[in-house]
Amino acid sequence: MTADTEGDVVTHNPIHVNPDTCIRCMICDYVCPGDVIHKEPRSEKLPVIKYPDECWYCGLCEQACPADAITVVFPENMLHPQTSMIELLGRDPD
Amino acid sequence: MEHLQWPEAQLTPLEAEVLVVGGGVAGCLAAIHARDAGADVLVADKARFLERAGSVAGGVDQFMTPLNAGEEWDTAQHLMSFVPKLTDGLSDLAVAERAVHELPRVFQRLVDIGIDFTDPTTGEYFRTRAFGLPGEYHLNFDGSKFKHRLGRYTIGHGARFLPRTMITDLVTDRTGERVTGAVGFNCRTGERYLIRAKTVVVSTGDINRISRNISGMPFDSWHFPYNTGDGHAMAFRRGAKLVNMELVEATLTPLGFSTQGTNSYAGQGAYFINRHGERFMFKYDPRGEKARRTILVNAVIEEVLAGNDPIYVDLRHLPEEVLDNFVRTLGVDRYTLPGYFRQRGIDIRKQPLPIGLSEMSIRRGGSYFRGSGLVVDTSGESSITGLFAAGDCSMVSGGISAAAAMGAIAGRGAVERLIATDDVDMDPTSVADAVARMEQPLLTDADENWKDFENRIRHIVTDYVGMRRTDKGMRHGLSLLRALAEEEPKLKADSFHALMRTLESKNIRLAAEIMAEAALHRTESRSGAAHRRIDHPETDDVTWRKAIVLCRDPQGDIEFDYLIEDRPAPTARSAAS
Repeated sequence: MTADTEGDVVTHNPIHVNPDTCIRCMICDYVCPGDVIHKEPRSEKLPVIKYPDECWYCGLCEQACPADAITVVFPENMLHPQTSMIELLGRDPD
Repeated sequence: MEHLQWPEAQLTPLEAEVLVVGGGVAGCLAAIHARDAGADVLVADKARFLERAGSVAGGVDQFMTPLNAGEEWDTAQHLMSFVPKLTDGLSDLAVAERAVHELPRVFQRLVDIGIDFTDPTTGEYFRTRAFGLPGEYHLNFDGSKFKHRLGRYTIGHGARFLPRTMITDLVTDRTGERVTGAVGFNCRTGERYLIRAKTVVVSTGDINRISRNISGMPFDSWHFPYNTGDGHAMAFRRGAKLVNMELVEATLTPLGFSTQGTNSYAGQGAYFINRHGERFMFKYDPRGEKARRTILVNAVIEEVLAGNDPIYVDLRHLPEEVLDNFVRTLGVDRYTLPGYFRQRGIDIRKQPLPIGLSEMSIRRGGSYFRGSGLVVDTSGESSITGLFAAGDCSMVSGGISAAAAMGAIAGRGAVERLIATDDVDMDPTSVADAVARMEQPLLTDADENWKDFENRIRHIVTDYVGMRRTDKGMRHGLSLLRALAEEEPKLKADSFHALMRTLESKNIRLAAEIMAEAALHRTESRSGAAHRRIDHPETDDVTWRKAIVLCRDPQGDIEFDYLIEDRPAPTARSAAS
């Protein structure tokens, strides 16, 4: 799947939570530096990946999860990017 | 139209003797040193816990310091004699010297706190030579828990923490020349704070999300994407002086994942090859792949312009034990990199890895002991009384080491300022202005969103103020960035989280405009890829061996000034005497 890039609205979920092993603690919510993961306190609900486009792919959540229930999954446009580098090297204003 | 309401009608009043904005390495060290003197310290950060705040919360693996362990090179004096070779005329050597001399002291403090800098396999310090420094100043260590320990100690040492809080603006007294507080809000609950503070330390890091990258995903960035120049912007809005804002930093990354480390591949003997299988680096530098990062970056740009991409980093020729070590340590800088290679189906032992150029950061242009940020004196104080800066948003920066050193200096400087301060007044106009700016995106009836706005900034910067700059392009870019400012009142936030991003976007736009102003002003190229003018390809030491300082005058116009590294280096001085 492709992540949201500059207006394409196909949203990729970068943080996969295994519902069978997740122990519903708050740690992923607490450690995420981007306020991306929201877990309702004292609830059986799974953590919600509320702002998937704002993930840094740092994996702090995966690393900190006490139940090993999190996997960071990269989107297609990071694994097989299509942008050519020359597009990023500037252009003439005319 | 529906407007999101603040949860309370009033701002929650808070007080502190030292308010630290940003709880990374610099912020924690500032807080610790202010607490040493018994000051009442409040640290605000967008993160939920101080242990997890800042760009190295996920781990770090090097600390640079002389240790005075006997070797001739192993002193602060020796390191300092080399600093002017790094800064390229763009620092203040008096401040840099303070930081260099602080390094071993702050290192010892970190050891005393309980941070273990030894190599886990030998129990001894493992020191390496890096960045062309004249000695083995870099300690390699397992810093996966570094920030956790530091944050925990800071709290245990008596600093109070304000979580998930974006400080949006500074407050001054009636003269406008003395910072006396700040306003901010909690990005989850929307609770607003009016913080009266006798001194404020900004340690908000570098500036990211400012140009496009290969994946097209703005938060896929080499450096921390939640550092958006908030400290630079709030200080600039109150008239503080900023320096070196034209200097950018980009790196080589696995194509599609903007992460750190590709230059370390070169250090370990990797070959860089182009589509023709040619090891092209020797065309650009006699050291080949061991050239400085900024030369590697420029070489890759040239290869791309010549149509020789894709570019690869090739490790296949390396001995088995080097490859083993390489693969084992891949996840140290970025935990997810091994998973990335796995999901991509690439085995770097057997296949060359396609690489690309990352987006840019405004961040010291790749050289230690200078910085892109607030001008500070030897006590860490900015051009505004009571306002201090440390870390990547200050004039002298360089990894966690310089952040720690400048943090310590700013923390002690803030204490000195406290001693000279009775009470401070917050100017009601200044407060009203800060509150209005914070809540404007909640009140607007327009319906533009920060994501589109930010993408427009990145397109303008990439096209006209990026890695290859011209007078014509930058004038065009600057006019587009100024026009974009007119759109800001239309940005609407429908949650407190979106309010944080919206205010970040405005800070990014302001940083882009300041960068364009400074880059247009500097009619030369300097420090490799840090500032490259196609229309002025040469370095002009006669005119431009000086840092550009800029600030906003009361009319809102940009005022330029210069900072000249006019002091002779310490060795030169001792040789003369």
